[in-house]
Amino acid sequence: MTTHTVTIANRESATYQVNARRPLLEQLRDQGVDLPYGCEYGGCITCAAKLVEGEVDQRRQVALNNRQIDNGYVILCVARATSDITLEIGVDSHDKLYRNPFLDPLKPHELKADIAMPQPSSSKAIGQEKEG
Amino acid sequence: MECCGPGYASPSDAIKAPREKLLYTIAIYTGTGIQKPDYLATVDVDPDSPTYSQVIHRLEMPGIGDELHHMGWNACSSCFEDENMSRKYLILPGVRSNNLHIVDTATDPRAPRLHKVIEGAQIKSQTNLSGPHTVHCLGSEIIISMLGNAKGEAPGGYLHLDKEFEIQGRWENSMGDIKFGYDFWYQPRHNVMVSSEWAAPNTFMPGFDLEEVGHLKYGRELHFWDFEAREPVESFYLGEDGLLPLEVKFHHDPDSTHGFCGAALSTNVIHWWKNDAGKWQWEKIIDVENEQHPDWPIPLPGVMSAILISMDDKYLYLNNWLHGDMRQYDISDPHNPVLTGQVFMGGLLGKAPSVNGVDVAGGPQMFQLSLDGKRLYVTTSLFSTWDNQFYPEIREKGGVMVQIDCDPVNGGMKINEDFIVDFGQEPNGPSRCHEARYPGGDCTSDIWL
Repeated sequence: MTTHTVTIANRESATYQVNARRPLLEQLRDQGVDLPYGCEYGGCITCAAKLVEGEVDQRRQVALNNRQIDNGYVILCVARATSDITLEIGVDSHDKLYRNPFLDPLKPHELKADIAMPQPSSSKAIGQEKEG
Repeated sequence: MECCGPGYASPSDAIKAPREKLLYTIAIYTGTGIQKPDYLATVDVDPDSPTYSQVIHRLEMPGIGDELHHMGWNACSSCFEDENMSRKYLILPGVRSNNLHIVDTATDPRAPRLHKVIEGAQIKSQTNLSGPHTVHCLGSEIIISMLGNAKGEAPGGYLHLDKEFEIQGRWENSMGDIKFGYDFWYQPRHNVMVSSEWAAPNTFMPGFDLEEVGHLKYGRELHFWDFEAREPVESFYLGEDGLLPLEVKFHHDPDSTHGFCGAALSTNVIHWWKNDAGKWQWEKIIDVENEQHPDWPIPLPGVMSAILISMDDKYLYLNNWLHGDMRQYDISDPHNPVLTGQVFMGGLLGKAPSVNGVDVAGGPQMFQLSLDGKRLYVTTSLFSTWDNQFYPEIREKGGVMVQIDCDPVNGGMKINEDFIVDFGQEPNGPSRCHEARYPGGDCTSDIWL
């Protein structure tokens, strides 16, 4: 069984061991971390956290647009750690999660994956596995 | 008519019902950062009571993260002649969790209690549905619009429960070519149901990406159903006039074919009716102009997320969540509405940043009218993720409930200065109130056969 260490930066850098094959939300909750959540299938963003370091596999999420992914957001109810990772959790990590769409429109490549145009430059999100 | 079932013999009897003394509103913590369950709040609306204008009871749901939203009764006036039925249970769906909470409001109306929970996972596995929204009783049974399949993809369908709250499966025989679901209302004497379109849960739950409207991820059609055959028979493409057609209401008069829909993003009211040749027709009757925000590069739509018809079918009420105003229109001639009242509370235009001494985060959003048409209770939160985008200060300030006094004879609206419920002061921290209902039935629940 592959395990990784999760460090929660905004909870005094508390650390937890997680199984690489199971979603982060249920494992962290099982270990007593108080985390928000809603749909539990990757569709609703309530459990979003910010990935500060490391890599996750969150291919099953369908809630995030590409700008949110580029800003480091991960959907804990479906994301699995593929390395040791550092997260910021809860709404205090949501500073860039929400935007007023009238004031701050998305560029075509920043839409959700199913409707996004190809990214014009070669800049790529760090630490995200987006491809299946 | 002498009878013993729930509700009233007719809309005109409902208008004469005793004044409401309690109301129920859901209040959410989902998406607020407070790790507590959403709850059903009982609000004292009796001016002669020492606890008037206060939350007097809170029924917490068993888990966190439901996002309670709309709710509905187990029975309404459609069961008026059924002595075996009573309006005892309020059904509170969790949009995000899919859990359905059945709450007994009759044993102690001031302190409702949880009767049963239908687990979201069970609904998904038995019906392949998720994203519960509108609840209507259906004679003695219940249907709930479900906006997605078990994976949160549109169009979803309709969940059918029996009166014991057992899952009966899917109500509809076909969804036809319908792309999305949202609200619905039926008018049995005309064998018709009308349904509207928001978006797939996977689209709207994470928040509002305006760009997705252009990618056809949000609805713009109304659907007319053969109610007995349980299948759609005709659809109206509303185009740019009908972006995000949300709430649908028929006249309360069961003989009428007139109905209305608020197109939220276009901020228009769509009117439909059956003409003399028996054909359904539609037209746009109200078009709220966009407003220029001093600091914004593009004009601001009103965002009409709800509409309501008074029990006498004389007035239509609507909100502009982003502009911050509630409006009253005389729809005696439904083709030619006349604006008769308007008040501001909150909103992004800065016209009424506080009401009765309370800062308003958000704008007018959900509302419930008294049966006599005189008191309109208005709340300010739309949906947790959308609130967080447009009104981020609602995290600290919470929602509010305001009462607007309405003149049902001559028209007119005025904020009641004696009433305000500040959900920013709740014991567990700021919560957000949404839909409200009265124990005896209200202006958005009852249908007459």
